[in-house]
Amino acid sequence: MTDTPSPRLRIAIVDDEALARAVLREYLTASSEVEIVAECQNGFEAVKVVSELHPDLLFLDVQMPKLDGFEVLELVGCDVAVVFTTAYDQYALRAFEVHAVDYLLKPFSAERLAEALSRARERLQRGERLPTQEIVAEARGGQSGHAGRVLVRDGSRVHVLSIEKIDYVQAQDDYVSFRCEGKDYLKDQTLAQVEAALDPAKFVRIHRSYLLNLDRLARVETDERENRLAVLSDGRKLPVSRAGYARLSARL
Amino acid sequence: MHPILARAERLTAYLTAWLVVAVLLAAVVTRQDLGWMEALAILLPMCLVYAFACLSAWYVCRATPLTTSSVVRVLASSGLAAIVASGLWLALMRFWVSALSLLPAFATTGASFTSHEPLLFATGVLLFLLALTVHYLLLAFELAREAEQRQLRMEVLAREAELRALRAQVDPHFLFNSLNSISALTAVDPAGARRMCVLLADFLRDTLNVSSRSQIELVEELALTDRFLGIEQVRFGDRLQVERHVDATAGQCRVPPLLLQPLVENAVTHGIAGLLEGGVIRLDVSRRDGRLSIAIENPRDAESSPPARRGVGLENVRQRLMAMFGGNARLETRAADGRYRVELALPCLTDD
Repeated sequence: MTDTPSPRLRIAIVDDEALARAVLREYLTASSEVEIVAECQNGFEAVKVVSELHPDLLFLDVQMPKLDGFEVLELVGCDVAVVFTTAYDQYALRAFEVHAVDYLLKPFSAERLAEALSRARERLQRGERLPTQEIVAEARGGQSGHAGRVLVRDGSRVHVLSIEKIDYVQAQDDYVSFRCEGKDYLKDQTLAQVEAALDPAKFVRIHRSYLLNLDRLARVETDERENRLAVLSDGRKLPVSRAGYARLSARL
Repeated sequence: MHPILARAERLTAYLTAWLVVAVLLAAVVTRQDLGWMEALAILLPMCLVYAFACLSAWYVCRATPLTTSSVVRVLASSGLAAIVASGLWLALMRFWVSALSLLPAFATTGASFTSHEPLLFATGVLLFLLALTVHYLLLAFELAREAEQRQLRMEVLAREAELRALRAQVDPHFLFNSLNSISALTAVDPAGARRMCVLLADFLRDTLNVSSRSQIELVEELALTDRFLGIEQVRFGDRLQVERHVDATAGQCRVPPLLLQPLVENAVTHGIAGLLEGGVIRLDVSRRDGRLSIAIENPRDAESSPPARRGVGLENVRQRLMAMFGGNARLETRAADGRYRVELALPCLTDD
């Protein structure tokens, strides 16, 4: 009889600093139970790697250019386990504590990393998934203001939608669709979450299924069956509910 | 301490005033039956004694301060004190007159004096009330000045505390990231790890050293920022490049400590760190016609929103610049085309 060895944990390292990646590589290569499948210098690479190589676990730096660790989490958090790494960030740490996310404070010891690895292994065996949206919201709590952009993952690619370019957001079955420059971008989120993240002075919930960018509204008309319709500057028409019309009137 | 007794010139002025009072009183009483010599013999010493007696008005003022006592209480205690003081004065005067009467030249003085007693008593009361008024005024001045000094002292303390707080502190981020770099280097490049330790130690020592002083030479500040950038270059590698143009003559100008370091730090954390490919930080320092011009420019991610924390560091630098040079210094920022630029213009003060 032979013991079936537990499968090697497949890991991707994400950090914009070469030396920070080097520490993780040094510690991880010493262990026979893990395999480094990729090293990423930024968030875009991380999303691509998750989509293409399906690692079990990401070591994810919080502060990175263009896409920070939380944005990466928002995009791929459902597909992979994550251990954050950071030097110092009080908002991030609070979010980690609140949602029991494992994290490593730089610089960290090999022992501390080993602990994080065994905990990640347990989580993976239990099939645990992080409450991605809640963690992101908590970590963003420290920053005032509303999102200036929306990130949408399309397979291994990341689309960065500037909110000025979004015409409207439509709720579909289990996701939402952002209408932006003639294209629809799908995102695994609820319309209520989108509404909470966007500036209420710019986006109005005109219908149970529609969040409209006020800049796109040309006029509101009423059809023969007394239904109100929002006419956009490109001629497209969206339904306006009774409550939606009240919100719209209050804003105009 | 009594405000009049405390200073010789005040006491002299006070006693001179009483001398005038004595002569005037003498003039009044000589208009009837007393001779000049008699009047002065009585009033000069008596007024001198009363002058000192009236100094006790200070204690009445202190015991019933105008700010906290009722009007009735102030009037009652003033009136009572004046009557008691004047009564004692009159009694002393009677005693003095009877003593004088023993001398042949003053044989008739006692009899003539009696008719002046009501006038002298009334004058004594009025003089004491006048003394009270003067003391109340002095007390008010004293309190006002004390309050002003306290206010000034508070302002100085507040200013010092503010400056202490303003003195740029080493960003914990920077420290932890540097330690992490060292941790990485120990395995792959031990000599590099040691160099980094020395750089970091030198930088921290420089920071401690300059922040205890109110002004330093620009050359010291530049050395400190060089060390800072040297450490960050280890961390960011090729992503961080620095171009420096510094006039050789600018080094002696005096500046507040850690004037440039927070700006350079901003250039790294809000500029270079936000760019995938990094970029070049430019530092230009020139000295012309007694003025120092400093510009720090960095590329930044045009898509990212301007960070909130940069404002704090910048405001800190601006305030310390104003504290040292007042309206003579200027700090301006410019953001355009993915570049961010901070410009400082200040007088070049040197030791010589």
